[in-house]
Amino acid sequence: MRKRFVLMNRACVVCALVLVLNVSSTAQTFDTIKSQVKVHVLENGMKFIVLERHEAPVVSFHVYADVGSANESYGITGISHLLEHMAFKGTKLVGTTDYKEEIKVLEELDVLYDKIKTEQAKVSPDEETLKEMGKEFEALRTKAKEFVVNGEFDDMFMREGDRSLNASTSADATQYVNSLPSNKLEFWMAMTADRFQNPVFREFYKERDVVIEERRLSVETRPIGRLVEDFLSTAFKAHPYKHSVVGHMSDLESITRKDVEVYFHKYYSPSNLTVSIVGDVHSTEVFEMAEMYFGNIPSEPKPEPLRTKEPEQWGERRVQVVTNSQPILIMGYHRPDVRHADSFALDALANIMGQGRSSRLHQSLVKDKKVCIQVGVFSGFPGEKYPNLVAFVAVPSQGHTSEECRELIDEEIAKIKEESVTAEELTKYQRSSVKAMLSQMKSNGNMAKLLTYADVVVGDWQRLFDQVEEIQAVSVEDVKRVANTYLVKNHRTIGEIVPEGK
Amino acid sequence: MKQRRSYSKKRVKRKSKRSLQVFGAIVLVMALCAPSALAQKSPKDKFEFPPLNPIKMPKIETLELENGLKVFLVEDHDFPTIDIRAVVRIGSVYEPAEKTGLAAMTGTVLRSGGTASKTGDDIDRELESFAATIETYIGQSSGGFVSSMLKEDVDRVLAILTDILVNPAFHEDKIELAKIQQRSGISRRNDEVGGITRREFWKLMYGTTSPYARHPEYATIDAVTRDDIVRFYKRGFFPNNTIMTVWGDFAMDEMVKKLKNTLGTWPKGTSDIPSPPTVKYEYKYRVNLVNKPDVNQSNISLGHIGGLMNNPDYPALSVMNNILSWERMFKKIRTDEGLAYSVWGTYGASYRHPGVFSCAAQTKSESTVYAIELMLEEVRRMTKEEVSDDELARAKDRYLNTYVFNFDSKSKIVNRLMTYVFNDYPMDFMETIKTGVEKVTKADVLRVAKKYLRPDKVQILVVGNKEAFDKPLSSLGEVNVIDITIPPAKSKQ
Repeated sequence: MRKRFVLMNRACVVCALVLVLNVSSTAQTFDTIKSQVKVHVLENGMKFIVLERHEAPVVSFHVYADVGSANESYGITGISHLLEHMAFKGTKLVGTTDYKEEIKVLEELDVLYDKIKTEQAKVSPDEETLKEMGKEFEALRTKAKEFVVNGEFDDMFMREGDRSLNASTSADATQYVNSLPSNKLEFWMAMTADRFQNPVFREFYKERDVVIEERRLSVETRPIGRLVEDFLSTAFKAHPYKHSVVGHMSDLESITRKDVEVYFHKYYSPSNLTVSIVGDVHSTEVFEMAEMYFGNIPSEPKPEPLRTKEPEQWGERRVQVVTNSQPILIMGYHRPDVRHADSFALDALANIMGQGRSSRLHQSLVKDKKVCIQVGVFSGFPGEKYPNLVAFVAVPSQGHTSEECRELIDEEIAKIKEESVTAEELTKYQRSSVKAMLSQMKSNGNMAKLLTYADVVVGDWQRLFDQVEEIQAVSVEDVKRVANTYLVKNHRTIGEIVPEGK
Repeated sequence: MKQRRSYSKKRVKRKSKRSLQVFGAIVLVMALCAPSALAQKSPKDKFEFPPLNPIKMPKIETLELENGLKVFLVEDHDFPTIDIRAVVRIGSVYEPAEKTGLAAMTGTVLRSGGTASKTGDDIDRELESFAATIETYIGQSSGGFVSSMLKEDVDRVLAILTDILVNPAFHEDKIELAKIQQRSGISRRNDEVGGITRREFWKLMYGTTSPYARHPEYATIDAVTRDDIVRFYKRGFFPNNTIMTVWGDFAMDEMVKKLKNTLGTWPKGTSDIPSPPTVKYEYKYRVNLVNKPDVNQSNISLGHIGGLMNNPDYPALSVMNNILSWERMFKKIRTDEGLAYSVWGTYGASYRHPGVFSCAAQTKSESTVYAIELMLEEVRRMTKEEVSDDELARAKDRYLNTYVFNFDSKSKIVNRLMTYVFNDYPMDFMETIKTGVEKVTKADVLRVAKKYLRPDKVQILVVGNKEAFDKPLSSLGEVNVIDITIPPAKSKQ
């Protein structure tokens, strides 16, 4: 975390904003919202962040589990995402007609599945035995299905009016969202407490198949999906950002229900969960209910931090995906995590180079030279919690190549390293960042997401509002310095789609 | 489990043992005052929900400027921003077939091509210097513009917006850029399976040459001239052919004055835009294949033509869709069978031209035909038997209990109003649908399913690797193989 501005007081925030925006209305908006945020931490470590908004009788919920594909190791890649799917399968109470009988069958299935895996792993597996066990497996699965109330967990939320029932998994996090009419706060409490205390990973093997189809859909049949997967596995050699969130096919085909249970118990302790609730509720009532519904979950220590760190790169790396597609270029340079002092300068660099119609790369590559139809720069890929990449993406125009795009990007990088950016460009970055924050904060759901992200990843929810000072503090010298520090040829990876037969 | 700091019943009991009389009395009082706050409920307990706070309807100002520009305005002071959105009666359905792409390019170059006094690049820099946006577009059945700004920049943004709408320059360089973008899009259109499926299914539904399905080719892009673009812009972009919404942090009187002084100067035009083209559809069962040997998953779409939203059966169809997609397709094909990640079945309806009834799933090559059979079976079942009481009750609850979200922001409310007015729908259309949904019965669902779904007259489209299918696709019927080769540009032949 950055210390430079920690001592700044509220008045200075306003001053800083007046400089950026020439008005104080934005500063007042942030100040007002910030003063309305209420926080309560249960003794077991589970944190609730509440922002009351009484404009409409609705409320959004965001549960941030501090676990993502970066927590996975070989053999279980994709398990965070698979677990996210399983968190919709119900509990001991929801989704079953008789849990006590059902669990016996599920456990029999687990034992049999292990036997099948053991047999398959032999040098010469017995085909007859495998066939028999396969039949038995199907019979048991049919038996287990008799206890299942298909979709009951989803049905219960949706019937009460959940408009956004969903979840997502990234390299850094697993996030669960709901939105309900605001008179159903207690229903959410009851459902969610049950969901994270008594989950039952039923219909596991079929859901694993669903996730496998999701992998085919998003990675295997999509040229850009293949490119991103191979690009990351090249750019990182040690850190788990190297594997895709959805996981390797062979891991998905082998992960067991027990694996998911072990993973759940490791990463879903109350101290690893942060909840934010934004909407037409009263914080005192939310906190009372949070105590009642979540306070009795036993506390557990936070999981051990990730050990593996990405070592320094020793030279430029390249990777090609040869496929039936037009070319696409991705180029990534290693950068530190989001809490590092250079983070905002890197954001400014990305914004000035590659975000918007007047950005340097769009001006040069798209509008002037017309070598590509899209170009962009993203800081913070594929996650932000750990050191990651500044990524340049270019989609060449018809008849143009990735190489032409790369050369022109290199030219623009060289200019910034030499001359830095202009004060006008920096102002543009500052205003657009603040405006983007304002836009995102309008909806309850997005606001809830911003709060948990700031609290877990950046380290404190207040920094969501206070970052304005740091955005304002970036100087043209900072941008030049970070360009020279991080946009280093030996620290980059170039990935491209090469059209088949070319 | 630990009971620390818990409000559960057990805690209260334990306390009361210590001094039964005193605590018993307190517990009784507490129970009377706030009975619901004391007991932890399990998800399946009965919840007595407190009454929902009322929906606050914003005050919407309606305005028609002297030049015929209709405007809906709403003050919203939560954030110091102002947003503008407008719809224009124009669209690619009105472009000549031999110049397909003209509408989209006109929408792009109106903004990028600059004005009499500024280049497009100048405008990009100027707007981005104060974090404002203005975008113009022309889609299939409507065009329009959107703009977003911090409130203190409203004067300069309105000035630029007016300049763009009144004095567009359509600079040749930006027309060339738009053509490059279009041609590159054509060259890339077979890269993604999902894109191929959408495009080819649409052609099966509306017809290859239909304005609702056709797409640009190199030849149609090359045929577009600057004159075409200027004419097409003039055909649609004038104030009495436009409806606009403005919402955000402003004072009503001031904003009205500002609009009069800026967009009020936009000269009137004369509309020659006819009703949207009609759709001629012939129901026919057919199996279609785009063979793609390099994929391991089939992208499946099947269906036939759909209908209009103002159909009196639309509420019953909405309930039917909800059941077909979630209770049937999702629960069977995804949850039970694990065959697909994304799966649905929906009788689609649009405002002014027929939508499409489509069922879709993406499944591994080896379960292609099996998945199609299951999907068709679910559609057939909808047309043969009544849905269950539970299915109906859940579907209606899902609709009615999420209804409040239609009113969760002022921008949503005012933009919906604009959409209804633009499409000549009554302003209370959504309330009508809600009332209709409340009355839908199982018999209604079966009746509309029988009337509108024709599972034996569907077009089936598979984009996938035919060598790896579980059964030959011909087991479903004669296969029409679709060639998706991109016709080369003339100049390159």
